Amino acid sequence: MTFATSNFLVPNGTLIVELIAFLIVLGVIGWKVLPPLNKVLGERQDLIRSELDSAEQAKVDAAAADEERHQVLEAARHQAREIVAGANRTADQVTTAAQARAQAEYERIVQAAEAEVAVARAAAVDQITARVGEIVLATAERVIGREIQAADHRDLIAEAIAAVAAEGAATPAGSGSPAGGGR
Amino acid sequence: MVGAMHLALLATDITVGDHIKRAVLGLQLDLDTVWATGAAMVVTIALGFALRAKATSGVPGKFQLAWELGVAAVKKQVEANIGPRGARIVPLAVSLFVFILISNVFEIVGLGSKYEFLPAPTADINLPLALALFVIVLVHGASIRTRGVVGYVKHYLTQPFPVYLLPFNLFINLVEEIAKPITLALRLFGNLLSGGLMLALLAALVAWTLGPVPVGSVVFVIVDPVWKLFDGLLIAAIQAFIFALLTILYFETAMTDIGGH
Repeated sequence: MTFATSNFLVPNGTLIVELIAFLIVLGVIGWKVLPPLNKVLGERQDLIRSELDSAEQAKVDAAAADEERHQVLEAARHQAREIVAGANRTADQVTTAAQARAQAEYERIVQAAEAEVAVARAAAVDQITARVGEIVLATAERVIGREIQAADHRDLIAEAIAAVAAEGAATPAGSGSPAGGGR
Repeated sequence: MVGAMHLALLATDITVGDHIKRAVLGLQLDLDTVWATGAAMVVTIALGFALRAKATSGVPGKFQLAWELGVAAVKKQVEANIGPRGARIVPLAVSLFVFILISNVFEIVGLGSKYEFLPAPTADINLPLALALFVIVLVHGASIRTRGVVGYVKHYLTQPFPVYLLPFNLFINLVEEIAKPITLALRLFGNLLSGGLMLALLAALVAWTLGPVPVGSVVFVIVDPVWKLFDGLLIAAIQAFIFALLTILYFETAMTDIGGH
């Protein structure tokens, strides 16, 4: 029995053939198969990376645009608030000024009216006083029976007129109504 | 009873590790293994060139995807264990994986006969041993390149115990280094040899009859495909993967300087 050829655990010349066969496989895979595979793997990785980069860039751009939009919106809001506030201030000023003008006008009109009334009353009083003086003189002539010299009794007449005027000033309505009634 | 006897007789006829032997140029060759190795080599190279022709950086087809997954798995292992320096051994690990896988898959067409027309070449000790020795030589080369000759020798004398236990260290390391190629080869060889033996046993079952009932044939028809799927696909892939993975791990031990000087 030849041990070396009968025991299947003992290698023989086939080992060299197997080694050569594997070296050929290793050579082909190492030189011809893996490099192109690695190349396409690398290319795909680059592609994926660049796509990821551009996606990232797009995200950043979108965020920037959003931020800008927010800023513009905020500025617009601010501006609107300022405009409204300005308008409100202007409206207040206009209102205040108009009120002041109206008040002034009102006061002016009232004053003018009062002045007119005063002038008219003074004129009326003068007129009535003069008339009263004549009536008094006429009455007095008729009572006495003779002509009274106005110059002789000037002081007396003036005194009477002043008394009537004082009374007319105290009660203008009372002094006005006899004049009206007399007409 | 007669059937069982017959089966027992048949079973004794089964022999393992038989090869068609011829002396060529002074070398004793297992011709069936050589032929099957050639076939495995042609298939491997054909698959490689098919990939080369179809490889695209766009969307890969299923075939390219299978290659990419395999290569990516090897690269990941290498990166994780050795780092960028290990890039050189990626082609070796990929070649080992693909070549062993295709060799193992040949078990699927096994008939369970004494001589297969296409035996798995890995079921012959010559191929696993050739691969294991090749790998171990490269591993020692890498170790010397990493540590230098002095560091390489020192590594065996001062590891894992302190230097005053030098004989112990030398003994332990020698056993380990000798065991590496042997276990690497025998693990693969044993799995594939037993796979083939299983096919032979299943084929022998055909002779088992209970009276007119061909029990053995029924069992064979059911179990043989199941075994072939398990052995020819699962075991084949696992063993190819383990061989490639252990190769990477041996390189890792050789290329990383754990002990320090």
